[in-house]
Amino acid sequence: MPFFEILGYGFIQRALIAGTLIGLLCALLGIFLVLRRFSLIGDGLAHFTFGSVALVLLCGVSATWVTYAAIPLVLIGALGILKLTSSARIHGDTAIGIVSALGIALGVILASLSGGYNVDLFSYLFGNILIISRNDVLLTAALAIVVVAVVALRGRAFFAVAFDEDLARTSGINTGRANIILVLLTALTVVLAMKLVGIMLVSALLILPPVAALQLGRGFLPTLLLAAACGILSVLSGILASFALNLPTGGTIIVASFLLFVVAALVGRWRRG
Amino acid sequence: MKGQLTMPRIFLLTLLLIGSLMLPACSKPESAAPTASKLQVVTSLFPLYDFVRQIGGDQVEVTLLLPPGVEAHSFDPKPDDILRVNRAGLFIFTHKAMEVWAATIAQSVDPARVTIVDASVGTQLRQSSGHADEHGAHGHTANAAAIDPHLWLDFANAQVMVENIAQAMARKDPAQRDLYLRNAAAYLARLDALDAAYRTALALCKQRTLLQGGHFALGYLTARYDLKYHAAAAVNPEAEPTAATMAALVQQMRRNNLHYLFSEELVSPKLAETIAKEAGGSVLLLSAAHNVSKTDFERGITFVEIMERNLKNLQIGLECR
Repeated sequence: MPFFEILGYGFIQRALIAGTLIGLLCALLGIFLVLRRFSLIGDGLAHFTFGSVALVLLCGVSATWVTYAAIPLVLIGALGILKLTSSARIHGDTAIGIVSALGIALGVILASLSGGYNVDLFSYLFGNILIISRNDVLLTAALAIVVVAVVALRGRAFFAVAFDEDLARTSGINTGRANIILVLLTALTVVLAMKLVGIMLVSALLILPPVAALQLGRGFLPTLLLAAACGILSVLSGILASFALNLPTGGTIIVASFLLFVVAALVGRWRRG
Repeated sequence: MKGQLTMPRIFLLTLLLIGSLMLPACSKPESAAPTASKLQVVTSLFPLYDFVRQIGGDQVEVTLLLPPGVEAHSFDPKPDDILRVNRAGLFIFTHKAMEVWAATIAQSVDPARVTIVDASVGTQLRQSSGHADEHGAHGHTANAAAIDPHLWLDFANAQVMVENIAQAMARKDPAQRDLYLRNAAAYLARLDALDAAYRTALALCKQRTLLQGGHFALGYLTARYDLKYHAAAAVNPEAEPTAATMAALVQQMRRNNLHYLFSEELVSPKLAETIAKEAGGSVLLLSAAHNVSKTDFERGITFVEIMERNLKNLQIGLECR
């Protein structure tokens, strides 16, 4: 299929727009998460969403809306991860592991209790970047605006907290509030992005572009902008490469962002001598 | 402060967990005492469940392992399910390519007590071309994926499966042998009639191409009635459609002036809707019958009813006279 012809399809255009926005969203949040050692929070919250969705389904919510109905529970799960790290002296990876495992376990138990469904739940839970609707694009844009605004206003505080929480606290930053805002925005992003593009892609976009940027960036703003650029570039090059090579788009985006990370790591190494 | 926030939450989750563990325990006693006289049959998928029901009538107690709405390939049996298979006289499954878990259960039971029936013995199996489009771009080499497991959608295969099941039931429960074989013969005639209805109805269609905005599940059906078939994704449910496949389906709809794209019941229709909308058409539902919704199941829907519903939608979608 000729390359430019395929760009004429509506679903491709929506994939490019929504993909760019999700790449931006994930990169902006991911940089703080990676620094704070919350890299796997995307996977963890997705698993917790599974449990939440099973609970919401038991209450009789229809499959189309079930992911949105589960959002309050997922926000609680995200706060749970935060509370575990701060109060129980547990590291981020462990806290994520606990919440993630609990989410899956509850999901499996509740699903079995319900005695079957009217739909194949997984096909509603996880999306594909090629089948995004117009409303989905608008929803993503709205969330992107919120996240960009929050990062623009509070980004320096997030950064300080992510680097050294104690130092940030003594220098007068409300670290508790910064943490809560960060994980809540992450939870919203994960639920929405998982429904639109699938969990594999969300998790990768939260980690790879920020890590690539950290290989090169110096200072707060350059690193943040680099991460955003890497996120967007990964998505766009991945989508276009998947057309050119006729490969599944989600997987191709992840490989593209990995290659970008490898290049960044090599350049970073060369620069340091 | 932090402790106050954490403890109620942990308490709540623990309560939920305990509650969810106790609920099934409360409902246990009823299922614990099976009627000893009747033949106990456990089946993996819906078509087998219905076939046993049609053959055995009220002389058998048949259970469907796969819960309604759950995907056949990824089902994970509960302890109760394993127990049920071990207590049954017959355990019937479709094919090791369809329900890998069924083959695993089958290996774990006592062969002296439970007779395992592979219903696919003697059926004509199609190679799944494995791929959405005919020039299949990426190869799945796993040998299980080489066979299209939706074999009951060829009604001749369904008949062989019915005969296999009837023979197994007659051997296990000789007292009811005549009843089983008589019912089976009547049901085979019913499937013949269904086949004839399909053949007549689908001979007079304006369109000969069935386009599916989902997985390649209807290969047997389309091959039997001489229809062309294109699907957005390969036969295994993990496969994802590529943009080129989707664009090709859109073009096919436009070029052949097709107004309908088919989507599989139970699965999110979003993929099919995206493609259909792009080409200005709409979506019709078809069921591959391997599973049914909870509502349909409780209503006691049959395989023949599902296939009649499919035929109606096929007649609309393919513009048959």
